Amino acid sequence: MSTQTVRGAGLEQRSVNRDGFGPSGPSLRIRVRFHGRGGQGVKTAGRILGTGAFLSGYHCQDFPVYGAERRGAPVASFARIGNRPIDERGVISEPDLILVADATLLDDPAAGVLAGNEAASALFLNGNPDAPLPDLGNRLHLIRWDLTGAAIGRLGRAGALSAGLGAAAARFVGIVAEEQLVEAIRSEFTHLGLSTGEVDANVAFGLDVFRALPTVSFRDVAETEEGLGDSVVPMIPADPLAGGPNVISPGNATLRDTGAWRLERPVIDRDRCTRCGLCLIRCPDGAISWDEEGLPVIDEQHCKGCLICRQICPIHGIGLEEEARP
Amino acid sequence: MTRTMLTGNAAAAWGARLAEACYVPAFPITPQTEIIETLAGWFADGSMRGRFVTLDSEHSMMTAAGAAAAAGVRTFAATSSQGLLYAMEVLYTVAGWRVPFVLVNVSRGLSAPITLGPDHNDVLAARDSGFIQLHAETCQEVLDSILMAYRIAEDDRVSVPVLVNLDGFFLSFTREPVELPDPEEVRRFLAAPESRPPGFSASRPAARGVAVLEGPTYSYFRYQLHLAVEQARVVHEEAAEEFERRFGRRHGMIDGYQLDDAETVLIMAGSFATKGRAAVDRWRAEGRRVGLLRLRMIRPWPTAELAAALSGRKAVAVLDQDLAPGLGGILFQEVAAVLARCPVRPSILRSFVGGLGGKEISRAEFDHVLQVTEQAGPNEGPVGPVLLMTAREAEQVGQRLRIAGHVPEEALP
Ligand code: SF4
Ligand code: SF4
Repeated sequence: MSTQTVRGAGLEQRSVNRDGFGPSGPSLRIRVRFHGRGGQGVKTAGRILGTGAFLSGYHCQDFPVYGAERRGAPVASFARIGNRPIDERGVISEPDLILVADATLLDDPAAGVLAGNEAASALFLNGNPDAPLPDLGNRLHLIRWDLTGAAIGRLGRAGALSAGLGAAAARFVGIVAEEQLVEAIRSEFTHLGLSTGEVDANVAFGLDVFRALPTVSFRDVAETEEGLGDSVVPMIPADPLAGGPNVISPGNATLRDTGAWRLERPVIDRDRCTRCGLCLIRCPDGAISWDEEGLPVIDEQHCKGCLICRQICPIHGIGLEEEARP
Repeated sequence: MTRTMLTGNAAAAWGARLAEACYVPAFPITPQTEIIETLAGWFADGSMRGRFVTLDSEHSMMTAAGAAAAAGVRTFAATSSQGLLYAMEVLYTVAGWRVPFVLVNVSRGLSAPITLGPDHNDVLAARDSGFIQLHAETCQEVLDSILMAYRIAEDDRVSVPVLVNLDGFFLSFTREPVELPDPEEVRRFLAAPESRPPGFSASRPAARGVAVLEGPTYSYFRYQLHLAVEQARVVHEEAAEEFERRFGRRHGMIDGYQLDDAETVLIMAGSFATKGRAAVDRWRAEGRRVGLLRLRMIRPWPTAELAAALSGRKAVAVLDQDLAPGLGGILFQEVAAVLARCPVRPSILRSFVGGLGGKEISRAEFDHVLQVTEQAGPNEGPVGPVLLMTAREAEQVGQRLRIAGHVPEEALP
């Protein structure tokens, strides 16, 4: 096994176990999975990649999954690219490339960021390249990059990562030319109704990322075909009373750390607060309670950062802080 | 003609736009919402002309659609899942009125438990309403089927509403390249909407959908509805032929893949047939004589086509993405009924239920279907249904059950 480390401007690329993985063979099929939080733009990132591949003459398919989530909740989107018609559908359980818009998702088992195809996945993590990491398995490539920093630089906002994320994916996959990427970003953001200035800023952001990152290699299609090695299991009749979709054990929702969903945190100005209680009443998650002094206090483990409390506060006594990301 | 990336929902909206639908009663429901949003935008910016009206529920929406169609207006409506069920009473009503319009259903599993993922129980609940039913596999087929649906619905021999089904998520939000037909060419394929005779005029009042309190007359009209839906077979074939001539794509009542010399036939409907095709390719590469038969038209049921396609085969496996509790796979039962009419009947028949509520159908599950079907002896029971679930998924279910406080050992292997 040979391990190779590349370090560029803010870029670390560690290639593990490269032996035997040459450039893509004649039958090209790349499956890409994006993970992010609601509001970070993984759906648009997937569409930028899909449109880029389409404009470059490839077969492609892209789609997001939505649940009943909202801003800050874990979300995912997918793209498949190939030089033959795509004969797959649905979620990608065994991706060749995973892009993670927010490294804190690694701590959320429900997000399933690392699921599937462990040995073959190229993994892109947005965040501080020097922060400590959990065990990520034997990935073909690990690329760490501060995409949020680049977004703040170009767009002045931390949340809107789609152009950069789409550009990174297009670069790694290696079949989308710069010109097609620019067209794809323009078309997606125009579709979203952004102004010319905002579209231009996103194109610039995408190009920064595209030019800074390398392409990566992928395993052959045959080796990464989905669902290998799984088996079908028989269903056994259950106790009829246990066969309903009911939650029997109380209180387990408190164990879910939904505070990790926050992109921004509300901060109550305790000196100015009039104790009117509106924030407490309006918080959709019941994350605000009274403390011993009769002032509102926020439960940081469960506040999802919707900022409704900030909107509702009659004295504008609730500020916000960017959530610190590893 | 333009080629562009479209979601299934956008393709459905384009179908309505190219058909020049001039009345859209709307009630949004996930995963259909994008259709309504797209159409609302086009009515607002003038790309589409006519009336876009938001209603208070699917029940009102379907009533409005039927009434507009009765007035001779080219009408388009879309719904999904619980919304389709909420409108079900009116589905029967407007089909009985014999008014032609197109309804799109974006498939989504029914409650409870609540889900947003797709399966076919919603659309199959409408199978006896009198609506003709077409099921799409690709985003292109969504668009094409809507154009064909207007052509069939508005034919004087039919005059029945048509439901076009597409799978939630796996088509509704999935983008893939779609060819947009030339609007002029569509105008030649469909009669111009303004050329259709008005259903009502002030000088010639009429009542439609009247009460018929005596049984014989009621029976007559219900059976006439049956005969009209039956007529759709002929009209569909004519439409498919002309569609192919104009647009270069052929859409049959059934869609066969590698069927010619197949001994074992896998039957499916909807978007996962794409994965079924890939499974057939894989098995063919191993030298196994397997083919896929996709049900594109479900009402009228393609009885003669199925009987012809299945006659003389060794084995048939039906993969239902629906489940009738206490019966099994719905399409399986309908296929089994056809086999009674086969001159040379396949001796092996197996039923599988997979992909409920948006569940994947993985490679392992397709392989399991083939293995069970190939290994079955002739006329050997039980035929199923086998619920497809992989070990990895069962583990996930067990984990959820444990969190909810169930005792998983009793429910899972
Ligand atoms: S209302 Fe305020 S405290 Fe409650 S979840 Fe939203 S941001 Fe957090
Ligand atoms: S809404 Fe504002 S003033 Fe009222 S209790 Fe909350 S923080 Fe204090």
